[in-house]
Amino acid sequence: MKTLFAFIRRLFLRPSARIGLGVLVTGGFIAGVAAWAGFNKAMEATNHERFCISCHTMHDNLLPELQKTVHWNNRTGVRARCPDCHVPHAFTDKVARKMQASREVWGHLVGTIGTREKFKEHRIVLAQREWARFAANGSKECRACHDYKDMDFERMRPTSQVAMRNAATRNQSCVDCHKGIAHQLPDMKGAHNPAFDTLVSAAAGQRVEVGTAYFTVVPQDIFADEALSTRIGALEVAAKVKVLETKGDAQQVELALWRKNKGYGRVWYGHFGLNITSAVLDKAIARDDKFVTVLESKEDPLTGLEWQQVAAKAWIRKGSLIDSVEPIWTIARASYSTSCSVCHRQPDEAHFDANTWPGLFGGMVGFTSMDGDTAKVVLKYLQTHSSDFSTTQHGAGAPDATLQTARP
Amino acid sequence: MSYSRRGFLKAMTLLSGSALVAPSLLVPRRAGAAAAGGGAAATDDITTWKITGSHFGAIRAKVVGDRVVDIRPFEHDKYPTEMIKGIIGLIYGPSRVRYPMVRLDWYRKRHLSDTSQRGDNRFVRVGWDEALDLFYGELERIQREHGPWALHTGGVGWRSVGQVHSCGNHMVRAVGMHGRSVGTAGDYSTGAGQTILPYVLGSTEVYSQGTSWEVILRESKLIVFWANDPIKNLQVGWNTETHEAYAYYAQLKQKIADKSIRVICLDPVKSKTLNYLGAEHQYVNPMTDVPLMLAIAHTLVKEKLHDQKFLDSYTLGFDRFLPYLEGRGEDGVEKTPEWAAAICGVPADRIRELARLLAQNRSQLIFGWAIQRQQHGEQPYWMGAVLAAMLGQIGLPGGGISYAHHYSSVGVSSSGAAMPGAFPLNLDPGRKPKHDNTDYKGYGAVIPIARVIDALLEPGKEIDFNGNKVKLAPYRMAIFSGCNQWHRQPQRNRMKEAWKKLETVVAIDYNWTATCRFADIVLPACTPYERNDLDAYGSYSNRGIIAMHKLIDPLFHSRTDFDIFRALTRRFNRDQEYSRGLDEMQWVEKLYEDCRKENGLKDIAMPPFAEFWKKGYVLFPEGKPWVRHADFRDDAEVNALGTPSGFIEIFSRKIERYGYADCRGHPVWMEKVERSHGGPGSDRHPLWLQSVHPDKRLHSQLCESEPLRDTYAIQGREPVFISPQDAAARGIKHGDLVRVFNDRGQLLAGANVSDNFPPGVVRIQEGAWFGPTGPDIGALDTYGDPNTLTLDIGTSRLAQATSANTCLVQVEKFAGSAPAVTSFGGPVEVDPEGRKVDQS
Repeated sequence: MKTLFAFIRRLFLRPSARIGLGVLVTGGFIAGVAAWAGFNKAMEATNHERFCISCHTMHDNLLPELQKTVHWNNRTGVRARCPDCHVPHAFTDKVARKMQASREVWGHLVGTIGTREKFKEHRIVLAQREWARFAANGSKECRACHDYKDMDFERMRPTSQVAMRNAATRNQSCVDCHKGIAHQLPDMKGAHNPAFDTLVSAAAGQRVEVGTAYFTVVPQDIFADEALSTRIGALEVAAKVKVLETKGDAQQVELALWRKNKGYGRVWYGHFGLNITSAVLDKAIARDDKFVTVLESKEDPLTGLEWQQVAAKAWIRKGSLIDSVEPIWTIARASYSTSCSVCHRQPDEAHFDANTWPGLFGGMVGFTSMDGDTAKVVLKYLQTHSSDFSTTQHGAGAPDATLQTARP
Repeated sequence: MSYSRRGFLKAMTLLSGSALVAPSLLVPRRAGAAAAGGGAAATDDITTWKITGSHFGAIRAKVVGDRVVDIRPFEHDKYPTEMIKGIIGLIYGPSRVRYPMVRLDWYRKRHLSDTSQRGDNRFVRVGWDEALDLFYGELERIQREHGPWALHTGGVGWRSVGQVHSCGNHMVRAVGMHGRSVGTAGDYSTGAGQTILPYVLGSTEVYSQGTSWEVILRESKLIVFWANDPIKNLQVGWNTETHEAYAYYAQLKQKIADKSIRVICLDPVKSKTLNYLGAEHQYVNPMTDVPLMLAIAHTLVKEKLHDQKFLDSYTLGFDRFLPYLEGRGEDGVEKTPEWAAAICGVPADRIRELARLLAQNRSQLIFGWAIQRQQHGEQPYWMGAVLAAMLGQIGLPGGGISYAHHYSSVGVSSSGAAMPGAFPLNLDPGRKPKHDNTDYKGYGAVIPIARVIDALLEPGKEIDFNGNKVKLAPYRMAIFSGCNQWHRQPQRNRMKEAWKKLETVVAIDYNWTATCRFADIVLPACTPYERNDLDAYGSYSNRGIIAMHKLIDPLFHSRTDFDIFRALTRRFNRDQEYSRGLDEMQWVEKLYEDCRKENGLKDIAMPPFAEFWKKGYVLFPEGKPWVRHADFRDDAEVNALGTPSGFIEIFSRKIERYGYADCRGHPVWMEKVERSHGGPGSDRHPLWLQSVHPDKRLHSQLCESEPLRDTYAIQGREPVFISPQDAAARGIKHGDLVRVFNDRGQLLAGANVSDNFPPGVVRIQEGAWFGPTGPDIGALDTYGDPNTLTLDIGTSRLAQATSANTCLVQVEKFAGSAPAVTSFGGPVEVDPEGRKVDQS
């Protein structure tokens, strides 16, 4: 090993005794030019759509999808090709992306995404990787053609104007909203609402400090151990937890919540007397003194039930917390106002109290096409913006406390 | 999809094939062969005809030379209703609103007109531009001079189907872009039920999917239809009706015949359902269901037939209800069968027998909506839930309680497919009204819907409503779109009085309803058969999507709601925002493609729009059978109900804290202001008038269709159904013209003597068009609108809902010469000087 090192050292540092310096320099230059040309050639070749669609994964899956969109074919004949969107235009970024791309080539060679089914299953991974890249660079490639500064907002449809002006003020990344603009959206596995992906990617990049409170962005399991092997329950979306420590892929969190002292007492709520679910524990653990500490007990005067303030420590998978609950409510609010005005005027959030919302919402949600997760988030949004939390003068069961023009 | 569409359709055909024994439900499939002479182009293969949807089912239409000449049921509708025979009469009837019209005195003096002339039916024809300028001018005046409290936008209710043209969405969006207004809370159908049940069962229930029929037919041993007539009511649906539920009723009929299921119809009247199924009848005096239920509950406790374990695990407050039941409460009355028998007319032993039957069988209770449209209408619904909780079968297959199986094919499981959205009702995000004024001057921004007349007669009155106070806004202008306020609101003469206070009333409709007659500006909308649209097929089964082809061009000067309100928004330069720059067909395509995208995510395939539009429909396979409240029974903690406690609340501390004398902490029997069979007021007006949902109409829709009306009217008047005993006692024979009256009003009707009706009970179906002899208070109604006689009081401080079924009347044979029916045929057209315009 030592001799090899010495040899290399000699080779590079000792002047040549046999070949003239001019020959060496010229030879080196020619070799350099050749290598650069070859590199550029390769860069260029791999930057052609021909190359992109030469593998059947792209050709069979992504090309036909793109061909149906305006980015392939439009009135004025302007066309976006694969690299226009998916390869950075600046040199160093481009090289970096090319190196990452070797992973996709590998995937192609070993057949991770070899069939349409496998591709569809794996697509969420590919998409999230690409969405994260767009989120990080502010959708730079989109903006090579569509930049805010060149947009004539006046000529947009009125609804688009509202959205686009807001986005421009925040200099928002295009793909935050325009996911699936050129390809089909991946199957979101129950969370069909693509809006949640923004949250998931935000949580992935969230810096977490010990001793601080955060909110869960998606429903998730909780575990007794840091190896995440013994499941003991689940947290709902927008549940508030305090982070105690991070170990590898796991994070220990503290739950400080309320429960009804009836049955197993395994549904835990965020506030005394309000049925806003934060966690559901397994039956076996909910009454286990070693796990659950009861801090306080008092009767809810509206039902006569005893409520207990409870605390527990549990482990969750890292990367699913964010520091503000507002982005979750933004998604929920949009979903509520669209889905719930198809048949009737949607009542103001603060026109019911937190414990009335589940009954009304449960009676009507069947008429919407919300998926299960979205429905849960919307209900939680309504409850946390209900008259119990509102600072306006609406009382519980205010005039809107029945659905307006609901049905017959 | 593992289920091919063809296989599914075959299965559906087989399923209903076995059930084609329901003759009274069927329109003869080849009846009324094409009336048209010519029409060489149109073939007799109905699948080549245009298709459209309606509340009465999907239909095929033969169109020849821009004229609808024949209507047939959609080829996949196995149980069509004869109501579709009324559609041609609705399109081409004499009651069409042909042109924009303005009431004579309003045309002269605008908002300062003599409002007591409303109802005299004299109108001046104007052009569209003038009509919309007047409409817009009034909106401006109201917003500038008064503010949002002075404008009322009427709750819409049963618009015509179609997701693009849904008229309420257009009115609310367009008027909302101009300024805010006073809206309504609740609805006339289920106002009390939808308010009380969230406290008790944690959901409105009345519009909820119910246990699937295949489960009920398999598991139930006893079914009680409590004041419920599904065979009559399932003819119509909120969206285009599939009539799929009828297949299960046909099976039920069979199971009754072979004695594998017992069905009891608990009702004062022998209903259409009872007669169709051949079910047992349990008579009960009107409005006394609560004493009957209390006595059943009493028996369950006395004979230890109630399920204490269920009560302990799944309910709260039984201990606070029990003293009332056992006579240890405030009133000190034990709710024994003997006590109840004297009130409800059911013998005490029969009450005990009913209690035992319910407890010893797997029993499914299925309630109708009529008993919550009476004074204290919250109570029978609450007590029904308490009874079901005591029986302990809630959440079991074929057990428990339902409040919706008579509605829109509830009980047919959902396909799980997403249904199309609608033209937006709201302003687009971030947009503000032109008059961005939120100052309601202390008045409530909404009025409980049945209290809108109180708001005019008792301006500024503060009323209790569901735990809150509402100060009633004395609005000065009202807008009604696709909604017949003068059919659904009780007590006509009180309305007439109130209407005098309104400065301006705008009505938008396709036929000249009483609401148009009592309006100032009337705008002609076209019928749903004159526009392109799409609709969900099956409100709960999500069976498919129906293309609504425009059958013919809009008649006369009528326009789509979309065009009317787009033209209104153009007057304040926001029409582009209103329509989002899309036209009618672009909206239809957008709603379809959005829905297709959503279903794509669920792996439910839909063809591209063009293919769908050509074929006319998409159908989805059947869903999985389902049991209501099974998840709650399975895990009451995780699947908690939406009540304050998460459990069934037999006693509600929340309601108790409101302190309402007419709605206490648990269900209670309370005497009514008027009640037949020995109750208050029965000495002067001995007959109870029930105004149920009609058999051959959808509320007031189709009443104007002459061919259909001819099948049930008597001497051109709405029938009043009366028992042979009551008829004989008054010298009335079937077919006689009679006067029905009380202190609130009087009407003419045709006597239909029927032994389906017991003594002391008469029926006039709601939705009969109001046709007074003149604008004066107390004028005789010439056709027979029961709301001429009904009582306009709230059910209680809780729901403030309609109490239309608390109504006593007297009937007498009509003597003298009968005035002509004035309900139909549109307005008397006059010129601005008031001279009659010859329309010939």
